[in-house]
Amino acid sequence: MSSSNILGAVLGASLSFALLTSGPALAAGSHGGGHGMHDMKIGKPGDPAKVSRTIEITMYDNYYEPESLDIKEGETIRFVVRNAGEFVHEFNIATAAMHEAHRPEMMMMMEHGVLEPDRINLEAAKAMQASMGHGMHDEANSVLLEPGKSGEIVWTFPKHADLEFACNVPGHYETGMHGKVKLSH
Amino acid sequence: MFTRYAALSAFSVFILASPASAEQLFWGIQAEQLEWRSGEGSEALAWDADAFVGTDELKVVWRSEAEYATGPSSFETLENQLRLQVPVSTFFDAVAGVRYDSPDEGPHRTYGVLGLHGLAKQWFEVDADLYLSEYPSARFEVEYEGLITNHVTFTPSIELDIPLVDDEATSRGAFGPKLEIGGRLSYDLLDRAVAPYVGVHWERTFGESGRLVQAEGEDNDVVSLVVGFRVMF
Amino acid sequence: MTIGLLRRAFLLGAGLAAALSGAATAGEYSLTVDPVTVDTGAFTRTGIGYNGATPGPVLRFQEGEDVTIKVTNNLSEPTSIHWHGLILPFEQDGVPGISYDGIAPGETFTYRFPITQSGTYWFHSHSGFQEPDGAYGAIVIEPKKREPFRYDREYVIQLTDAHPHSGDRIMRNLKMMPDYYNRQQRTLFDFLKDSKEMGLDAALSERGAWGDMRMMPTDIEDLQGFTPLINGKSSAQNWTGLFTPGERVRLRFINSSAMTYFDIRIPGLKMTVVQADGNNVLPVPVDEFRIAVAETYDVLIQPKEDKPYAIFAESMGRTSSVRGTLATAEGMKGDIPDLRKPPLLTMADMGMAHEGMDHGSMNMSGDTHTMPDGSTMKGMDHSTMNMSGGTHKMPDGSTMKGMDHSTMNMGSSDPFYAPGSGLMPAAANGGKFLSYNDLRTQKPLYPHREATREIELRLTGNMERYMWSINGIKYADAEPIRLQYGERVRFKFVNETMMTHPMHLHGMWSILDTGKGKWNPVKHVVSVAPGTTLFMETEVDAPGQWAFHCHLSYHADSGMFRKVIVEGGPEGKAAALPVKTEG
Repeated sequence: MSSSNILGAVLGASLSFALLTSGPALAAGSHGGGHGMHDMKIGKPGDPAKVSRTIEITMYDNYYEPESLDIKEGETIRFVVRNAGEFVHEFNIATAAMHEAHRPEMMMMMEHGVLEPDRINLEAAKAMQASMGHGMHDEANSVLLEPGKSGEIVWTFPKHADLEFACNVPGHYETGMHGKVKLSH
Repeated sequence: MFTRYAALSAFSVFILASPASAEQLFWGIQAEQLEWRSGEGSEALAWDADAFVGTDELKVVWRSEAEYATGPSSFETLENQLRLQVPVSTFFDAVAGVRYDSPDEGPHRTYGVLGLHGLAKQWFEVDADLYLSEYPSARFEVEYEGLITNHVTFTPSIELDIPLVDDEATSRGAFGPKLEIGGRLSYDLLDRAVAPYVGVHWERTFGESGRLVQAEGEDNDVVSLVVGFRVMF
Repeated sequence: MTIGLLRRAFLLGAGLAAALSGAATAGEYSLTVDPVTVDTGAFTRTGIGYNGATPGPVLRFQEGEDVTIKVTNNLSEPTSIHWHGLILPFEQDGVPGISYDGIAPGETFTYRFPITQSGTYWFHSHSGFQEPDGAYGAIVIEPKKREPFRYDREYVIQLTDAHPHSGDRIMRNLKMMPDYYNRQQRTLFDFLKDSKEMGLDAALSERGAWGDMRMMPTDIEDLQGFTPLINGKSSAQNWTGLFTPGERVRLRFINSSAMTYFDIRIPGLKMTVVQADGNNVLPVPVDEFRIAVAETYDVLIQPKEDKPYAIFAESMGRTSSVRGTLATAEGMKGDIPDLRKPPLLTMADMGMAHEGMDHGSMNMSGDTHTMPDGSTMKGMDHSTMNMSGGTHKMPDGSTMKGMDHSTMNMGSSDPFYAPGSGLMPAAANGGKFLSYNDLRTQKPLYPHREATREIELRLTGNMERYMWSINGIKYADAEPIRLQYGERVRFKFVNETMMTHPMHLHGMWSILDTGKGKWNPVKHVVSVAPGTTLFMETEVDAPGQWAFHCHLSYHADSGMFRKVIVEGGPEGKAAALPVKTEG
């Protein structure tokens, strides 16, 4: 993969770290396996052929439009996510606890210069990968976007779950960049 | 009186000549000692107080020290000084001024004052003065405020006064020093404005001065208990 | 309160007018400067307030509004109002002798200026000691655009340090005896305790070292004996703000104290700092933060339980504290934690332990970090990492002790304090304490560029004489600092004193150099800790003359103050007036 292709991978994917000191705590998180997100509790990557509808999500600094989602249980949705803000944002579907577990990873990326306020620093990401074995992995339940960029997720929701969509870039969740996913029968 | 006016006019000339028009004026009154002394047959009221007005660059200090014997109802000592203080280092001021002694008994004397006033290392407050006249003398005072608690203070002090020539009229012989050592335990009652204290005051005259004092029929070695209060406003 | 009502009525009209004509809004406000009674519960005294109260009203402006503020002086002495942190024409800045002549007794002065910014600010008298005597109020400016964060309700939390003595009396006492108000000095009992712990020789030599300098390690707050207040209320008077569990609440902290830094926490809640000195920052979740005199910090909190939460502010010297309560019903009281142990200054704070060390360049971000396996790691910021505890597994199987990435705790190494400083902040719960190093501006106000020149300002003083100065010269004897319009000046503050100085430049922004380039936070007060060097840059874009000073009232008054003259630039005041664009 060339570096420009890495960027492509980042669009429509998220950065993830397999290695963390608090590994056990994170096992319950969205990146426990380190190779994609297949936890049935929150649903699973959807089959594009089975998409029932498309929902457009616009990300601003630091909030979403719309601010909550109404989805039928078991429904497969195509999310077209656009970052209309001036900072990097994430659209990530998970439980509140998983989001919480994910935030220290995002903080670590910021501390290491991988995540700059308005861009993703691939050089820093590579350096980090080389030195620490922390890599970027595609995650089907989330998309991390630089300002002006768009991405897509196709997601099949489960029958019962308490889900939120959220941005875990440091400070964004805390200032209100998250919304409820209401699953209906 | 004349000398005091002279000093004041010198001060006003200094102020007028000073370029810093925005200098702020401050003032304050401090009595380190304002006390009743009782010891070995003599009782007296005594004080050692300063009042100042001035700026960071120049202060005028009126310093008064006295011992008023209640038996004979007379001032055994009464000194008034008008001192100009100018900073000469981080912790020290140079002093110039006049001193006028007017005890009820004995001659009145006027001196010119040259000295240093400030804070030495380890928090010792120091006054070193040279009194110039026909009967010159030198005086060295050190005081230390030892905090027992943040409101109870033990203040030891030493004052050494050394006549440089004979002055029999004031019972002083050349290089016969008078030593005063005190220890006062005070309690800050009202903020720092009023602090009552109890303590001990020892006065001893040595050498030729001591003999002259004894010749007057007085004791050259007196220990007194003191009760008083410090004032700062 | 009447101001608020008037303003609401006015806004309605203005809104209509704006809707009809598309013109900029224009608001009229009036303030009276009045003698008032200050009642802290601990003492009662006369003071100065606005519209009959201290603190004065919260002035609520809107970005883009042209404000007219009529200020009537009901005192028997001249007064003034400075709009702290607002960018405005210099004649409107409210500093007697620099901006204008002040407001004479009985006179009404009309301020007129455009509101070109948003955020939390405050206003106060710039005359004598009227500000310590109570002459302050808050300013809240709503932005044109949506805020980059969500909240359900907001409160202004204005901290002050009401003192039973008048400002003039305090100044006189400090001049007479600089430790007049220090009731935390080390005593005989402290000495006996230290002798027992460290041995007599060590205790003696330690006392000797301080005595040699004739300085006190307890000299953290020049002024003790005050009662800290939240919005005019002491702990006992318990300022209360209501919330519904689950709501997100914005707290606008303003430190309007004369002399006191506060460490602020809300036990049981994380606070997310979203704004510093009126400018949005990239949100930082913290457990506690220190607010310098005259700074503002906006935080978001989300109390989820139906119970009272204490807003607890402890003075930096730990001589006193104030508690307010966030409650779900009136009458609830948050628990008051015990005061922590008073800090002691160290030789590091005296500038002894690190002679010639340049703290401004201590930021390691951007440096290359060599890992034990020989690889390098770019852009690693050591200053924000807790190196205590925890073991980090390296790819080569080795371990690196003490590196704890999961918490990223500041621990005991805020680079904006001298290494080993006694003032090094630490959160009460062991969590995250905000550092200047965490502040990144949300929106750089200026393109990042190299400074055109550097000006060194040594912060100097003589504690024994209670004289404060810059480069050893006090205001009364100093020449103004001359800046050229259009330049970007890099100010180098070298703190040679043992006190912490909150430096405030009027009229232009202070871009604090935290080593983050264009993300450096944009402030109006930068706090310089003892024994440190700190840099800030200023885009000189406001013609006229401005005040530049330490915001500790008694330091400013005794000489840590300068006049700044901005030469050149667009002609006169027209330069600073807004360019009117007609639709």
